[in-house]
Amino acid sequence: MLKNLGIDLHQSEKKTLFSFLSLYTFLCVLIICFVSFLYFTFQKNLMLQNKRQVLQAYSKDFILRLKDLHINFDKYKYYPRDEKFNSAIYDSDETLIFSTLKEKKVALKEVIYTNNTYIQFIEEPESYYLGAKYIIIEIKDEGFWLEKSKNEIMLFALISFVFLFFMGWFLLKLFLKPMRDSFTLLDNFIKDTTHELNTPLMAITSNIEMLKNYSLDEKILKKINRIEIAAKTVSNIYEDLSYITLNNNVISVNEAINITKLVQERVEYFMSLCSMKKIHIEVELEKNVFLNIDKKKISKVLDNLLSNAIKYNKPEGKIILLLKDSYFSIEDTGLGIKEEHLNLLFKRYSRFSDTVGGFGIGLNIVKLICEEYKINISVSSTLKVGTKMELEW
Amino acid sequence: MVKKMLLFFFLVIRFYASPYENNCLSCHQKLPVSIDKFFYRYLLKYSSKTRVQEQMFLYLSEPRKDKTIMPKAFISRFGIKKASSLKKEELEQALDSYWNKYKVFGKIK
Repeated sequence: MLKNLGIDLHQSEKKTLFSFLSLYTFLCVLIICFVSFLYFTFQKNLMLQNKRQVLQAYSKDFILRLKDLHINFDKYKYYPRDEKFNSAIYDSDETLIFSTLKEKKVALKEVIYTNNTYIQFIEEPESYYLGAKYIIIEIKDEGFWLEKSKNEIMLFALISFVFLFFMGWFLLKLFLKPMRDSFTLLDNFIKDTTHELNTPLMAITSNIEMLKNYSLDEKILKKINRIEIAAKTVSNIYEDLSYITLNNNVISVNEAINITKLVQERVEYFMSLCSMKKIHIEVELEKNVFLNIDKKKISKVLDNLLSNAIKYNKPEGKIILLLKDSYFSIEDTGLGIKEEHLNLLFKRYSRFSDTVGGFGIGLNIVKLICEEYKINISVSSTLKVGTKMELEW
Repeated sequence: MVKKMLLFFFLVIRFYASPYENNCLSCHQKLPVSIDKFFYRYLLKYSSKTRVQEQMFLYLSEPRKDKTIMPKAFISRFGIKKASSLKKEELEQALDSYWNKYKVFGKIK
C-alpha cells in the first residue's frame, strides 16, 4: 500500500504507521458498534412501546377474570387462561402463586421486557386478587423487528465501514504527503550525489593505478598509497549508498561465482588498507567453492565484512579468513561488541563506536543480501578480544 | 355409662384441639359470615403470607375500628371483637392453621 503511495518506509516507521492504522480501525469498529447498539436499543424500545398497549388490554381483561376467581374461590378454582397470552401471579414477597408462562424466569422490577423469544409485561393491580401483587402477561415475540433491525444495522455498519475506510485512506494520504515529499527529496539527493561522485572517484583510482607503474620516490609512493586508501574508503561508501538507493530494487543476476577467487580478489583490494594499520591477514580457503549469486551483491558482502574487520581492528592486529564448502568466516582481533548491541548490529544507522567513521549501513546491506539468498549469518564477539562473523548457506 | 364415656371423649378432643379450632372457629361458626371471607379480604389487601399474618396478629392483639378491614356495615352490625386472650405463640399457631386452611397456593387448577 505504501509502495503505491511512492513511500518506502523503514521497519520502525512502518510499525508506527500500522499501529496507527490498527488503532484507527479499532476506533471505527468501536464507534460503529456503539451506534449500532444505540439504534438496536431504540428499535427494541419502540417495539416494546407498541406491544405495551396490547399487553395492557390483556392484563385488564385478566384482572377482571382473576377478580371473579377471587370472589368465587370457594365455588371453583380454575385459573383464567387465554390462548392469546400466558400469565403468572406473584405475591408481595415475590413468591409464585400460579403460572402458565413459557419463560419461567421473570424480572418483577421491570415493566416490559424481552425474555428470549417472549415479551413479558408486569402489572401491579390496585387490589391483590388471590394475593397477586404482580401479574405477568407473556406473549410470543415474533422477532420481525429483530430481523429488520439486524438487516438495517448490517447495512449501516457496512456503509459506515466503507465510508470510514475511504476517509482513513484519504487522511493517510494527506498525512503522508509531507513524509513522501521529504523521502523523494532525500532519495533524489542521494541518487544525484552518488552519481556525481562516481566519475571523479573513477578518475582518482585509475590515475593512481597508472602512477604506480612509474618508478617513483618512496616518499611520493607512500603519499600515493594514502590517497589510494582514502579513495577506496570513499568508493566503498559510494557503493553502499548506491546499493541502498538504487541496487536495492534491481533484479539480481545470479550466476555460479567462484567464491574462493572472489575472496582472494577482495583481500587483494583491501591489502593497502591493511598495510596502513599493519594488520596481518591469515587466509585459509578451500579451492573452487562455488555459489549461485549476484556477483555485485556477494562482493558487497565481502567488502563490508573485510572493511569492518580492518576498521575496528587494533593496529598490528590479525584477520582470519576461513572458506569451506557452504561456510565462510571472518574473525578480527578488534574492539569487540557488547552483548546488548549484538541484536542491533544489522539495524540500519546503528553505530556503536565513535573512534572510526561510518554511516552504519554496511552490515544492514550484508543482512539484506544474506536474507535474499537465505544465507545464515551469525555473530559472536568478546569485548576487547575480537569479533567473528560466520556465513552458512 | 355410655353417656359418661362420650362426654369424656368430647372433653379430650376439645382439650387436644388446636388454638385455631378452640379459639377462632368456635366463635366464628356462630356468625352469619363464614371465616374464609375474612381471609380473602386480608389476602386482597396484604397479598403475601408474611404481611397477612402480621396484620391479622396486630388486629387480633388490639382490635380497633380504624384497623379493621371489614366494611362499616359489618362493624355496625357485629361490632369490634374483644382482644385475643391467646399467648403470642398460640396466636401465631392459630394464624398458621388459618393460613394453611385457606391459602390459595397449590389449590388453583
